[in-house]
Amino acid sequence: MTRKLLTGNGAAAWGARLAATDYIPAFPITPQTEIIETLSTWIDQGDMDARMVTMESEHSMITAAAAAAASGIRVFSATSSQGLLYGMEMLYTVSGWRAPFVLVNVSRGLASPITLEPDHNDIMAARDCGFLQIHCATCQEVLDSTLMAFRLAEHEHIRLPVIVNMDGFYLSFTREPVELPEAAAAQRFVGDYDAENIRFRASAPVSQAVAVLGGAPYSYFRYETHMAAQHGLAVYDELSTTFAEQFGRVYPAIDAYRCDDADTAFVMLGSFATKAQAAVDRLREAGHRIGLLRPRLLRPFPAELFRRLLAGISGVAVIDQNLSMGMGGVLHAELAGALYGHARAPSCLLSFIGGLGGRDISLEEFFQIAEVTRTAVAEQHTPPPRLLYTEQELREMRKLQAIASVERDELNNAGGLEHD
Amino acid sequence: MTEQTVTLYRSMKDLPSTHLLGTGTPMCAGCGGLEALNQLYDIIGEKSVFINAAGCMTLLSVYPFTPFRGSWLYTAMASAPAGAQGVRDALDILIKKQRMPADEDMQVVVLTGDGSAYGMGLSATSGAIERNLDFLYICYDNEGYGNTGQQFSAATPHGARTSTSTGRRGYPGFKKDLFAIWAAHKPAYVATVAGAEPVDLARKIEKAMSIKGPRLIIALSPCPTGWDYDPQDTVTIGKLAVKTGIWPLKEYIDGQVVHTKPPRERKPVEDYLKLQGRYKHLFEPERNEPLITEIQQKVDRYWHNVG
Amino acid sequence: MYRIRFHGRGGQGMKTASRILGTAFFLQGYEVQDAPRYGAERRGAPIFAYVRADQQPIFERGIITQPDLVIVADDSLVPVPAAGVLTGADAHTVMLINSDETTATWQHRLNLASSIITLPAEALERDELRFIGATCTGAAARLLGVISRDNLQQAIEQELAQLGDAIIEKNLSRASLAYDSMQGHQGCVQTAAEANAVDYHKPAWIELPFDDARISAPDIHAAANSVKIRTGLWRTLRPVIDYARCSRCWWVCSTFCPDGAIKVDDKTPVIDYDHCKGCMVCVAQCPPHAIEAIPEEQAKQQEAELETPA
Repeated sequence: MTRKLLTGNGAAAWGARLAATDYIPAFPITPQTEIIETLSTWIDQGDMDARMVTMESEHSMITAAAAAAASGIRVFSATSSQGLLYGMEMLYTVSGWRAPFVLVNVSRGLASPITLEPDHNDIMAARDCGFLQIHCATCQEVLDSTLMAFRLAEHEHIRLPVIVNMDGFYLSFTREPVELPEAAAAQRFVGDYDAENIRFRASAPVSQAVAVLGGAPYSYFRYETHMAAQHGLAVYDELSTTFAEQFGRVYPAIDAYRCDDADTAFVMLGSFATKAQAAVDRLREAGHRIGLLRPRLLRPFPAELFRRLLAGISGVAVIDQNLSMGMGGVLHAELAGALYGHARAPSCLLSFIGGLGGRDISLEEFFQIAEVTRTAVAEQHTPPPRLLYTEQELREMRKLQAIASVERDELNNAGGLEHD
Repeated sequence: MTEQTVTLYRSMKDLPSTHLLGTGTPMCAGCGGLEALNQLYDIIGEKSVFINAAGCMTLLSVYPFTPFRGSWLYTAMASAPAGAQGVRDALDILIKKQRMPADEDMQVVVLTGDGSAYGMGLSATSGAIERNLDFLYICYDNEGYGNTGQQFSAATPHGARTSTSTGRRGYPGFKKDLFAIWAAHKPAYVATVAGAEPVDLARKIEKAMSIKGPRLIIALSPCPTGWDYDPQDTVTIGKLAVKTGIWPLKEYIDGQVVHTKPPRERKPVEDYLKLQGRYKHLFEPERNEPLITEIQQKVDRYWHNVG
Repeated sequence: MYRIRFHGRGGQGMKTASRILGTAFFLQGYEVQDAPRYGAERRGAPIFAYVRADQQPIFERGIITQPDLVIVADDSLVPVPAAGVLTGADAHTVMLINSDETTATWQHRLNLASSIITLPAEALERDELRFIGATCTGAAARLLGVISRDNLQQAIEQELAQLGDAIIEKNLSRASLAYDSMQGHQGCVQTAAEANAVDYHKPAWIELPFDDARISAPDIHAAANSVKIRTGLWRTLRPVIDYARCSRCWWVCSTFCPDGAIKVDDKTPVIDYDHCKGCMVCVAQCPPHAIEAIPEEQAKQQEAELETPA
């Protein structure tokens, strides 16, 4: 057992290596590039018996990954934001091939305007495509989730590709202590890939991913894919239990922190939830009964588990690091859908949007979110969603706009420059 | 790079007389693309996996029916060569790691129309050639986006009527020189073929099958539906395409371009054009002499440069 | 609401026919919805088109499952399952079949509750087949009984405007003849009772059982099973080899057949009529002109005669 400092990217690369990946189609994009550089170096040095191919685009990369998986080998790939979207057509297409592989997505805010810093709009755009999604909060979790993802994807009741998501910069380039499983133990856990009958052999001709005409047959294929994705809940529970037995680290589908006697709770995805966890501890010290729910699985959506964990909690603040234009926070909307009509659902479900493009969410903001939630419960009135932004931030923005020669009258009226 | 100098195919007698590709597909009656595919498949054989991009031929396999005796994978319009990369690499890895016996290997063949080959798929093809992927690429060229109703593509010839070039002078653009673009990558082999010239086609496929690396073929595919003619004229039109010099039969190999069947006395392009409804506006209600001449001169210039 | 379905083959003008009828209804003051539906969008392959017409705005969409009138432009489609000619036809449906065979023959053959009217198919040359649509539309208009000859005419002129006067004339005369020929059946088409929300036929919903991917992936684990589809049913002309003239050329017809439907058996070319689509490339290319094109109906009759014991 080795414990070393690894970045999230480094952890992802180790996950691919320990899973005995055969094939890595690649394309560089910030902030993922370190993953493929690491894998490439290991292959060149003979430390990893795999082939890496740099494709000419992410659309081609996803195609190559799935075609190789459909031929019967174990495949790993990685991308981010614009690259994930460039390949979006193929994300939908290849999940219908029912050929499993693992794709690490390093979450990054989407253009426009273009940025390199993290948020979750990219991975949210992929939520309907048929890939399963595991969300990580630590570099350790990235490595462990990659190993679990292979088993999850390849399970006979699932056979769907899986995305393992980590936040750009805050995980991808940040070093944390990570325990590296022994290669043999990891390989025992992941096992060998059994392609069953989805593969190419000269002696067994097969026409794969063919056209389908007719609404009823098409619906069959789509419904079955959906049901396979839903099987992810039971299979994930099974294999995360096995993982805990073999490696001692526990990863339930939703991480519930100090929720047992809580009357309010944060709900958050990803690495910023670590900050929410710290906020919970401070708030508890101040006498508030608050907890945190951090879902790891976003697809399949763990609706029943959410309902169980939130039963008895009156006020929930969902903090979305994503924004569906014209609608709001995606996790908030999905959670509302899972809770609606259920007897012990929280009476107040609040929405906060923050962290876009890597914007920090301070401890004080968590404290304030908790207070607004408590007030909502007391008054039995849920306020409208809040886009987290401060006075100071607006002042800074006005300065930038002035430099960019944005209309001076507008800036003056908004009370920007003159009140500097 | 080895090259087969002795051919099995000297005349039509040497061509297969039972055909591997299954009948019963929904291609139009008289489809020049299907004719070429039938001839190709007889020589490529069933130890193959065809990787397809969106186009008319996508409907060869509609659940639960397929005409292939080998394998098939439908990908998407832009990325069939990337699919070929994945399959080829996977087969190599399986053999190298001894998880699959070598006799289970297959020829990886990309099959696309001109829409994908000349346009959306060009980036993926360029990448595949540049990576020296060992694959065969067959483009069935019916000079337009056929499956969606024959809108013009980058392969549409100057002056042709399509559903998006219905003016009196037809398509204002010029047919992209895909052969030259592919050849500029210096792949192992590039060739043009036509179902109307089956012996020439057979020899080229045979040669392609004996080489490794990227091997790319464009098959002229006369299209009764898109080019607007009676299906029985498919071979007549194909032969005229060659005899008028409009469709040069050539190959690129070892850095050289060789014309395999240069027409001895070129027939006037008019003989080819007037059989097709897509060129009707060149002749009715009155002859568009300048446009006919322009087409003829372009062909003349080409052969003049060939020398 | 009138619900009408047209069945034909790609290239026979069913889409235009449905538009002519739709426009005729529209000119007559009805609310209209018309559309074609292609399976494989190919010449010769079965297609259908439909028309809905009502005095009120139409709140119905998609294919017609309970037709009042079914028009079959090409009777060779009736035995083709994929064509769906008989789908939803019940006691109130009128079937109009363009056919040389008699009403009695069809009634006996189909054994339907629907009433059947035949529209005699003239022995049409290949290029005359384009006017089937006009014939069917003219007949349909009379059967419906609510479309005037004038509006039918106007509809034809409108829908075919870009084809030129000569073609429009031909269509008009065909439609008019058919309109006249249906005088005895004027207005026989009845609309169906609308579905009610009280005693409706309950949909048989199930919980779809879960199948593992090795079953539920869109994969075909078979080789060349496309041969089960008899594309020979697309044919309107049949190529027939005169073996006396066939020079055993090795094997122009077999090589050039786009569908690979000609193979060589013991030095003799044999055409697979289950799959030959009738493109006539072999006829055009046979060096000694030993292959002849015969109308499919005629060829079928000759076959039947050969099979009948003397």
